[in-house]
Amino acid sequence: MFLQQLINGLMLGSTYSLIAMGYTLVLGVLQMLNIAHGDVFMFGAFLGLTFALLGIPLYWALLLAMLGAGIISILVERFCFRPLRKAHFLGPLLSTIAFGILLQNVATQIWGSEPSRYPQTTEIAQFQLGPILISSIHIIILATSLFLMVAIDQLVKRTRMGRAMRATSENQTNASLLGVDIFWVFTFTFFASGAMAGVAGVLTALVYLQITPFIGIRQGLIGMVAMVIGGLGNLRGAMIGGILIGIMEVMNDAYLTAGYRDMIVFGLFFLFLIFKPEGLFGTTSRES
Amino acid sequence: MSVYLEGVLALMGINILMALSVYAILTTDQLSLGNAGFMAIGAYTSAYLTVKSGVPLLPAILAGAIVSSIVGLLVAIPVLRLKGIYLVMATLGFGEIVRTFFMNFEPTGGAYGFRGPSGATLPLIYGWVLAALFFFWLLTRSRLGRSLDAVRDDPEVASTVGLHVTLLKIGAFGLGAFIAGAAGGLYAHYMFYIESNNFNFLVSAMAILFVILGGMETFWGAVVGAIIFSILPEALRFMKDWRLSLYGAVLVSMMIFRPSGILTRQMIRDLGEWFERIFRSARTEDA
Amino acid sequence: MLEILTVSKNFGGLIALDQVNLQLPPNKTYGLIGPNGAGKTTLFNLITGLLPVSGGAIHFQGQELTALPPHRITRLGIARTFQNIRLFPTMTVLENVLVAQNIHTRSGITSLFQFKAQGDRKLREEAETLLQQMGLWPKRKELSSSLAYGEQRRLEIARALALEPSLLLLDEPAAGMNEAESEELLDRIQEIRKMGKTVFLIEHDMSVVMGICDYISVLNFGKLIAQGTPDEIQANESVIEAYLGREEK
Repeated sequence: MFLQQLINGLMLGSTYSLIAMGYTLVLGVLQMLNIAHGDVFMFGAFLGLTFALLGIPLYWALLLAMLGAGIISILVERFCFRPLRKAHFLGPLLSTIAFGILLQNVATQIWGSEPSRYPQTTEIAQFQLGPILISSIHIIILATSLFLMVAIDQLVKRTRMGRAMRATSENQTNASLLGVDIFWVFTFTFFASGAMAGVAGVLTALVYLQITPFIGIRQGLIGMVAMVIGGLGNLRGAMIGGILIGIMEVMNDAYLTAGYRDMIVFGLFFLFLIFKPEGLFGTTSRES
Repeated sequence: MSVYLEGVLALMGINILMALSVYAILTTDQLSLGNAGFMAIGAYTSAYLTVKSGVPLLPAILAGAIVSSIVGLLVAIPVLRLKGIYLVMATLGFGEIVRTFFMNFEPTGGAYGFRGPSGATLPLIYGWVLAALFFFWLLTRSRLGRSLDAVRDDPEVASTVGLHVTLLKIGAFGLGAFIAGAAGGLYAHYMFYIESNNFNFLVSAMAILFVILGGMETFWGAVVGAIIFSILPEALRFMKDWRLSLYGAVLVSMMIFRPSGILTRQMIRDLGEWFERIFRSARTEDA
Repeated sequence: MLEILTVSKNFGGLIALDQVNLQLPPNKTYGLIGPNGAGKTTLFNLITGLLPVSGGAIHFQGQELTALPPHRITRLGIARTFQNIRLFPTMTVLENVLVAQNIHTRSGITSLFQFKAQGDRKLREEAETLLQQMGLWPKRKELSSSLAYGEQRRLEIARALALEPSLLLLDEPAAGMNEAESEELLDRIQEIRKMGKTVFLIEHDMSVVMGICDYISVLNFGKLIAQGTPDEIQANESVIEAYLGREEK
C-alpha cells in the first residue's frame, strides 16, 4: 500500500516538478516571478483536450500542447516582461497577474467554466509489479516528465543556449557585451518554461480526467511552493521539491484527512520562506 | 432602488475598501498578495459573533477588523524581514493558509460555508467607506503620512532621518489588514452566506488590479480603480463575458504605457491647489 | 565625542576596514581622505548603523552605537549626507526637510489629528529658515527630483541640519562642484561649525579638505595610514605614495 502511494506521489509530484522548473527557469534567468505561469499550464491542458477531442493521438497532442503553451508564454514575455524589465521589479509581476486573469477569461469563453472531461485516447494497460499496480498512465507521466526534466537540466548545463542563459542570469549587461543575444534568451527561457507547463497541463489532466479554467491557480501555486522548497533558481531543487510535495500530498490523503492537505502545503511554503528561504538545496538567484 | 443596483453598489463599496487595504500596505512600498486572507478573518470572525453569539452588527464588524489587524501585525513581524519576491510570496502563502484553514474549520462551517450573517445595508457599507476615506485624507496631510512617503521612497535613507522603518511597515500592514477585515465583515453580512472560496487568490489579485488601474500614488487611485471595475460591467453589458479579458488587457497595457495608473500624485496636488485658489478667490470676493 | 575603536569590517572575504582607530573630540572639522575604495563610505555606514561592524566598537558621547539601529543613532544626534545624493524623489523640497523634523515631535497616529499645533508652527519656521539659508525657499513646493545638482546637494544638507545633530557626516559634499560652489560650501561648513556642531567629511577635493579641516585622517585599503593637521598630512610620505599617480582636482 505504501509503495503504491509512493508511486502515485511520484507521478503527481513529477507534474509539479515540471511547473516548478518553469517558474525557476524564469526566476533564475530573468529574476522575475511569472504569476501567469499557472494559467499557461491550464491553457496547455485545454489545448491538449482540444487536440485529443479532434482525435489526435496522445503523443502528438502532447507535443502540440507543449508548443501552444510555449507560444503563449512568449506572449507573456513580450507584454509583461520585456517592456517592463528595467523598471521596478513589481511591474512585470503585477502585469502577469493581469495577464493570468485574461488567460482564465479567454479559456472560460472558449471552453466554458464547467469542468471539461478528458477523452480516453489511449488504452490503459495495467501491470502488476509485485505489490504495486502501475498503469500506462503512470508510465507515460513519469517517463515524459523525467525526459523533460533531464532535457532541460542538460540544456542549461551543457548547451550554448544554456551558457547564454546562465550568463544572462548573472548580469544582463555583461552578457550582452559578451555577444549574447539576451532578447533571444528571454524568448527562449519563457518558451521553455511555458512548454514544460503545457506538458504538465496535459499530464495533470490525464490524472484528474477533468479540467476547468481555474486549475492553474492551485497548480501554479503548488509549483511555486515546490520552487521555494527546492531553492529559488535551483532547477534540480525544483525537480525534487515537486516530487516531495507530490508524495507528501498523496501520503496525506491516504493517512490523514484530505482537507488539511493544502493547508500543510501552504504552511510549509510560508515556513520555508521565513525560516529557510534558500530552500533545501540552496538558491542560485540574486535577490530581487 | 432596485435590488440589482443595490447589489452593484454594495459590492462596489466593498471593492473600494479592499482596494484601500492594498493601497495601505503599498504606502510603504510593499505588495500584499494575501489581503483576501485578512478579508476572510474579518468575515468569519464577525459572522460568528453575530450569528453564534448574538453580538450586534457594528461591534462585530469592528471586532472582525481588529482581529484581522492583530493577525496582520503578528504576521508582519516575520514577513517584513523578507525582501522583494520573498515578501510577495509570503503574503501569497499567508492568504492561502487562511483560505485553507477556513475550509477545514468546523465551527464556521468548514467546506459547507457559513450561513446566516445579515444586516449590512448600503448606508453601513458606505459609512465605513467614508470613514476610511476620511482617515486616508487625514493621513496624507499628517506627519505620519510624510514618514510613510519617505519609507516608500527610500527606506534606508528614511532610517537615517530618524524614522523607525520597521515599525512603520508593520503599522501599514496592520492598517491594510484592518480595512480588509472590515470589508470582509461587511461582505459576510451582505451576502448572507460565505465560504472559504470567496476569499481566494483571485480576490486578492482583483484588489491589486483596482489599485494599478486607478493609480498607485494616491489613495484616490484605489477608489477610482474600484469604482471603474465595479461600474464598468454594467456599462459594458454587451461584452459582459469578456470583461475580465478586457480588464486583463487594459491592465497589461497600462503597466506598459502608464504604470502610474489613471490618477497620479501630481494630478491630486494640482487639483488640491486649484481648489485652494478657488476658495481663496471666493474669500477675497466676499471681502 | 566620536570614538572609533579598533573597528573592522569585512564582506565575505573582502576586508573593507582593518582595525581602524579614530578619536574625534567635539567642535572641530574633521576630514577623511583616501583613494577610491579605501573604505571611507563604509566607515560612515558603520557609524550610522546602516551596516554592522565585524569587529571593534563605536562610541558617541559615551553611548555605544555598534548595536543600535540607524533611527536610534540619528536620534542621538548624528546626521549624514550621501555620496550620490539620496533625497526623497516623490516629495517636495519642503517635505524633505519637514520629514526630517518628525523626530522632534509626535509623528505617530496622533499626528493625524493635529492640524496647526503650536509645535508645528515652530518647526515650520525652522524649516523655512534652513531653506532660506540654502537659497531653496522659492523652490519649496517643487519636487526634490526636479532640482539642479547643486541645489539637491544643498537640500540634502538642509535635511541633515533639520535633524539638529551635534555631529554632521558629509560624504563628498563637494563632488561635482565648480570652484565658486566649493567656496560657498566652505562658507556653509563654517556656519555649521559656528552653530556648535562637529563636522566629519569625506572628500576628494583637496582644496576643500585642506581649506577647512582642523584634522585629517587618511585611509588606504581599509587601514588608517596617517592622521594629523593638513600641513602634517601634506608632508606625509605614505599619504603621497597612496595617492601617487592619482589625479586631483
